[in-house]
Amino acid sequence: MILGRVIGEVWATRRDPRLGRAKLLVVRPQGLYEPAFGGRHLVATDDVQAGIGDEVIVCLGAPARASAGGNDTPVDAAILGVVDRVDFDAGLMLAPGAAPGIKRPFSIDLTAGGRR
Amino acid sequence: MVMGRVVGRLWASRQAAGLGGRKLLLVRPETASGKETTRLIVAIDGLDAGPGDRVLVAHGSRVRDLTVGPEVADKDVIVGIVDGHEVTAP
Repeated sequence: MILGRVIGEVWATRRDPRLGRAKLLVVRPQGLYEPAFGGRHLVATDDVQAGIGDEVIVCLGAPARASAGGNDTPVDAAILGVVDRVDFDAGLMLAPGAAPGIKRPFSIDLTAGGRR
Repeated sequence: MVMGRVVGRLWASRQAAGLGGRKLLLVRPETASGKETTRLIVAIDGLDAGPGDRVLVAHGSRVRDLTVGPEVADKDVIVGIVDGHEVTAP
């Protein structure tokens, strides 16, 4: 799962029938996660009535499909939760090698927007 | 999923059986604000999209299985044609 901020909404009437009427939101990932294809955004289905500006938890891959209305939904990203609060040690997160796979410092910007 | 713009169609007379003569579209992923990236995806089209359309591309073998069938040799599938999108938050 990744942390991201909802920054917009997408409307698509012509869609794969298995997508149903799922609401589609545009999410900008926080931190180091780089979405596939380099567009710096994800489009995810919304199960939890998230709104624009909310910080959300996004699940990627197979579990996303299961939550988005059953295993026969062709989605690869789903919003599973609206984040009320994140606590993290800025000092630790800013250090290279803070966690496995983190080779350069990064920070999470939770300052703008969101209903917290 | 990711948003992108269909920039062309692709034909290949010699192709693997797994592609089965399916319609292949070239999609250039965009940023959330609609700026084109330098990437290019070859996606399977099941919705009759055309050049100029903004589309949603989903990735993965299960997505492929559910939309165009497990026998198809491509994991990028167009699952929606975007009517409009609005990006408001910073």
